[in-house]
Amino acid sequence: MAFEFKLPDIGEGVHEGEILKWLVSEGDVVKEDQPLVEIMTDKVNAAIPSPRAGKILKRFGKEGEVIRVGSVLMVIGEAGESAPAAGPSAVAAAPSHPAPERGTGMGAAAPAVAGGKAQATPAVRKMAREMAVNIDSVTGTGPGGRVTEADVKAAASGAKALPVRSAALPVPAATRAALPPASIAPGEREERIPLRGMRKRIADHMSEARHRAAHFTYVDEADMGEIVALRERAKKVGEAKGIKITFLPFIIKAVTHALKDHPMLNASLDEARQEIVMKRYYNIGVATNTDQGLVVPVIHDADRRSILELAREVEALAEKARTNKLTLPDIQGSTFTITSVGKLGGVISTPIVNYPEVAILGVNKIDKKAVVRDDKVAIRQMMNLSLSLDHRVVDGYVGAVFLADVIKYLEDPNHFLL
Amino acid sequence: MEGGQTADFDCVVIGGGPGGYVAAIRLAQLKQKVVVVERDRLGGVCLNYGCIPSKALIHAAHVFEAAGHSEELGIRSGGVSLDAEKLQAWKGTVVAKLTGGVAQLLKGNGAEALIGDATVASPTLVEVTTKVGVKELSTRAVIVATGASAIDLPFARFDGATVISSKEALELKSIPKTMVVIGGGVIGLEIASCLAKFGTKITVIEMLEEVLPGVDVDCIRVVKKALRGHGVEFFTKAAARNVEKTGSGALVTFVTEEGETKVVEVDKVLVSVGLRPNVEGFGIEALGVKRAEKGGWVLTDDRQATNVPGIYAIGDCTGPPYLAHRASKQGIVAAEVIAGRPSAADFRAMPGAIFTDPEIATVGLTEEQAKAQGMEILVGKVPFGAVGKSIAINAPDGFVKLLFDKNTKAIVGAHLVGAGVSEIISELALALELGATADDIALTVHPHPTMPEGIMEAAEAALGRSIHFMGARR
Repeated sequence: MAFEFKLPDIGEGVHEGEILKWLVSEGDVVKEDQPLVEIMTDKVNAAIPSPRAGKILKRFGKEGEVIRVGSVLMVIGEAGESAPAAGPSAVAAAPSHPAPERGTGMGAAAPAVAGGKAQATPAVRKMAREMAVNIDSVTGTGPGGRVTEADVKAAASGAKALPVRSAALPVPAATRAALPPASIAPGEREERIPLRGMRKRIADHMSEARHRAAHFTYVDEADMGEIVALRERAKKVGEAKGIKITFLPFIIKAVTHALKDHPMLNASLDEARQEIVMKRYYNIGVATNTDQGLVVPVIHDADRRSILELAREVEALAEKARTNKLTLPDIQGSTFTITSVGKLGGVISTPIVNYPEVAILGVNKIDKKAVVRDDKVAIRQMMNLSLSLDHRVVDGYVGAVFLADVIKYLEDPNHFLL
Repeated sequence: MEGGQTADFDCVVIGGGPGGYVAAIRLAQLKQKVVVVERDRLGGVCLNYGCIPSKALIHAAHVFEAAGHSEELGIRSGGVSLDAEKLQAWKGTVVAKLTGGVAQLLKGNGAEALIGDATVASPTLVEVTTKVGVKELSTRAVIVATGASAIDLPFARFDGATVISSKEALELKSIPKTMVVIGGGVIGLEIASCLAKFGTKITVIEMLEEVLPGVDVDCIRVVKKALRGHGVEFFTKAAARNVEKTGSGALVTFVTEEGETKVVEVDKVLVSVGLRPNVEGFGIEALGVKRAEKGGWVLTDDRQATNVPGIYAIGDCTGPPYLAHRASKQGIVAAEVIAGRPSAADFRAMPGAIFTDPEIATVGLTEEQAKAQGMEILVGKVPFGAVGKSIAINAPDGFVKLLFDKNTKAIVGAHLVGAGVSEIISELALALELGATADDIALTVHPHPTMPEGIMEAAEAALGRSIHFMGARR
């Protein structure tokens, strides 16, 4: 008997997933637990295993399509079974219909309505093509989530800042064909990469954050001399235990201490209910670069962990991120995010908040700088901190006081060690 | 384009059917230099041997029947008779008018037309064999719009006289007394509907479980009942085995669902078992144009581009559904893409109309397809018996069935059967394209008394508030 396999519940709060890659084809015989398809949800790739042994009779959805949890992903039958559509051919003595007759296929081939496609009128879809906007990635503000003309225009103006989008500009065939015969084969001058998977998640998430939050960035500097000295000592302790100690655990420590004094930065805005959600737990997201793009693993209850524990956790999560082994709990539930480009560090940055959080701290490089202390020029280990905030929730003054406290903790770690 | 010389054309369109000629006009509108190469007649199957002539004959059959069977309305006619030759002559004028119109439109828009056999030598060179010799056309792009052809059976080869395709069936100079239709698809049943009214005794042999595969089963039930009323006999799950020609017709042997072997003697045998895309014999195989493994049609992306740069394909040669209006829309897309516009075939709704009596018209998903996608649906179904107009025109059979997504209430499919429903399906195609909900349709004022009131009522029925129909939701 054919069995309809529906996209299972992959994790809490996950309602849909994007088909990243089919690992099996129609007609393949599969074993139980054999991975069938890679599904991208939020920022986790999950390989969905087969619930049973059998033959893949039918697959639904193309790579890049978004499907809802509970919708049919494929039909699995017994090894000898053929796809339902081919059923009655065994009865026939006459040769099987090589092609459906004029019109008879119209039902079968009628395009589906849903399936990750934006709901928009044909005219709006045409406008989106002309403005080189991928309408399926635009968040609709019309009734029932319809993408309106205004939504497309907004996406088009936002898209100009996004290199990802401009890379997807269509190449008119005429332009290609009209190239001078300089023996450049069409297509060689540019490459087209479908915006899908993690890149699409990042694009959607960043657009949403930029679109909704009222961003502003505030920069101040910290004298990291004490932390540099402290880390040198801690490194030796860490080495004995096999833990690599970076600056990040100290910064996380300073941040969680400061957050307790300034709860408005450890919050999110529930737009639907028009409420500010203040969180009494401190889960720190750590923006991490991987081959596939940015992910933000989360250190849960960071305030309750020691420097060594934080160091171990940071290292473990970074390793999981690099090897693509993050699970949903690893990337969910952050209340505040820290982003650092490691040794590159830069001078200042203007981070985008990890929406719907309201604050993100950009950590820049530690560098020896000439500063004035007691009316004399001194050499100090200075570091800039770039704090981006959602001004709808956090006013400038509140942010400035918070950052001053973070700096206070960093410049005198005794405050949080004691 | 070699050597930087200008090509003769921006595009050569191969095939002058409803895909090709529309593409050519659009290209010309966009200031592209274009030529349509047609091997037979401009207008293709649609205008010459398909949609248009069949509708002319179906209309005539309707008038014939109404003239002879309106005693109930107090109309007595003194014996109605048919002059089949005169009917053919009239049909010929209809076809001539429309194909002449195509030639005018091409010319008026500045598109050239050439009668001959085309061979695609390369994406930039097309050779055309005309009556007066071979012409070489250099071009920037090629649109393949070669259509599809009827398939016959090993034991029933088309002979143009007794074993015929729909083309000959539409050119009959006399009405056959008896006919077997092998293959109960759209073409088979449309011709059966037409000839049955003119008095032909018809036997339909279909190998599948039901005629009109893929069509809403409730719609099929209504049409079969009406056709049986005209003496049409149906054998489903039946296999045609042999066709033996006799002096005046043919003996058709088939095996019924029960395994019984039957032999019927008929004047004509219509073989309407399917269509085969015309994709071979004009050079695209050698250029490596990708085709479907099963079915063999040309594969394209949503810009109608094949895998070979510069070669585009539209219409029936790109596989089912084999619909003229699909070919035309694809032709416009290909033309715009070639002219450098960011066009794409992204239509959500591909309506289909079946000109049996009563007609069937559908758009979007069937109930089975919606369920297979894991969608929960809401059904609104209202019989035309609840619609004043259908009673007034003495055509009470049929219904409107609308399918909505249960969560969003957006329309996902429409299945209509009844008098003239092909004329009212466009409202539902528009509803699908615009993402209309049951409320949108129910709240739109529909004029009284008209058949489309059934659409409004069906949307109201889905919402549990139909005014004129009290039947419970099925």
